[in-house]
Amino acid sequence: MTITLTINGLEKTFEIDPGEKLLEVLRREGYMSVKKGCGTGDCGACAILFNGRSVNSCLVFAAKADGGEILTVEGLATGEILHPVQTAFLAEGAVQCGYCTPGMVMTTVDLLTRNPDPTESEIREALSGNLCRCTGYVKQVRAVQRAAELMKDGGSHV
Amino acid sequence: MTNVQTYHRPSSLKDAWSLLSEKGKSAKLVGGGIDVALFAPPEVTTLIDLTELSQRSIELREGALVLGAGVTLTEMLESDVVADYLNGIVVHMLRQVASPLLRNVATLGGTLASTHPWSDVITLFLALDARVTQYAGEERTSSLADLLERRGTMDRAIITEVVLPAVATGTYASYEGFVRTEFDIAMLNCACRLTLNGSCSDVHIVFGGTPDIGHRAVAVEDALAGKTLSSEAIDAAAVIASESIPARDDVRASADYRRVLAGAGVRRCCQRIAQRVGE
Repeated sequence: MTITLTINGLEKTFEIDPGEKLLEVLRREGYMSVKKGCGTGDCGACAILFNGRSVNSCLVFAAKADGGEILTVEGLATGEILHPVQTAFLAEGAVQCGYCTPGMVMTTVDLLTRNPDPTESEIREALSGNLCRCTGYVKQVRAVQRAAELMKDGGSHV
Repeated sequence: MTNVQTYHRPSSLKDAWSLLSEKGKSAKLVGGGIDVALFAPPEVTTLIDLTELSQRSIELREGALVLGAGVTLTEMLESDVVADYLNGIVVHMLRQVASPLLRNVATLGGTLASTHPWSDVITLFLALDARVTQYAGEERTSSLADLLERRGTMDRAIITEVVLPAVATGTYASYEGFVRTEFDIAMLNCACRLTLNGSCSDVHIVFGGTPDIGHRAVAVEDALAGKTLSSEAIDAAAVIASESIPARDDVRASADYRRVLAGAGVRRCCQRIAQRVGE
């Protein structure tokens, strides 16, 4: 079957199998920031924004997304200028192996879009579906707090 | 891997029902689609996505909270109307359901139709006397409790609306889920709703994940009915909960541990209500 998605602002049409998930389609089409982790909605490595909300792309049928808007990490930066959330993750060193990072970044974008000034507790709740096996989540929480400050300032520079 | 061959997004209830009745067991309804995406039985070759049916309203109707089956758990969590119902008990419970990534996708209809025995939503909605409207060629409304008695047939009709009834003055509700980690499945959950006008009446106590699906605990309800919500009455109810809950062992917890949790659940729920009454 054929579906049309607007991915990172560009409308694209794909042939898919009816049972395929968004994760499989996006990776096949070259959006490699979308990581496959558990495949069961537990780890959040595949998190993207679907119609503005962060979701596990491993659990969303691609056919369900037909006509929808998708945002992945590839669509965050403006040219060479990183998105404030990316900048904050770099500045706070909230990255080790990096596998969970794209999902964490997308969940953070969703959080800060709706709640520009989250408490630490709200940050931890928002990230509760994004697992990181390298770290203790401390730097990610700091990164989200820093991203919130950057977004309030309207810039991405540290 | 799935054997799914066709994916439909019907734009009317009638069309969705026609497909479901025509395809029978080879078809599955898709609300958020999480359960089907996780595991589509091999006989399932057709998916019927209910997204286009526009069942996403949340409103208060004569004191009753009326929820479209297509609303996501996040939409409920963020709704002021839901927050205003019974001191925000539904929001309190939803915060304990899975992760935001899953709540952004999971729909209310799908959550109920999945009939997971550990479901936080089902346990609380049973305590709140939820009524569920389904479409199967025509609309019919039943209590959630009655529908769960026919559990195997829950996904053979299309849930369209869920109503939490208006509550009498002096009605309170409380919810407790016992989990090991932030978005783990509950080892046991407990919901309490009662009316307090001096003494307790219309008491509803429900345990879920026993490991069976939520059921009212009649012996505990009887122990509280007609009593003031004193610490003695709460203690007595907690003991009866521990003794009477039909707990079994499974991979998440032993029956013995569940009995301890049942007592703690009733105690915490009732204490929270007593504290709110005193405020």
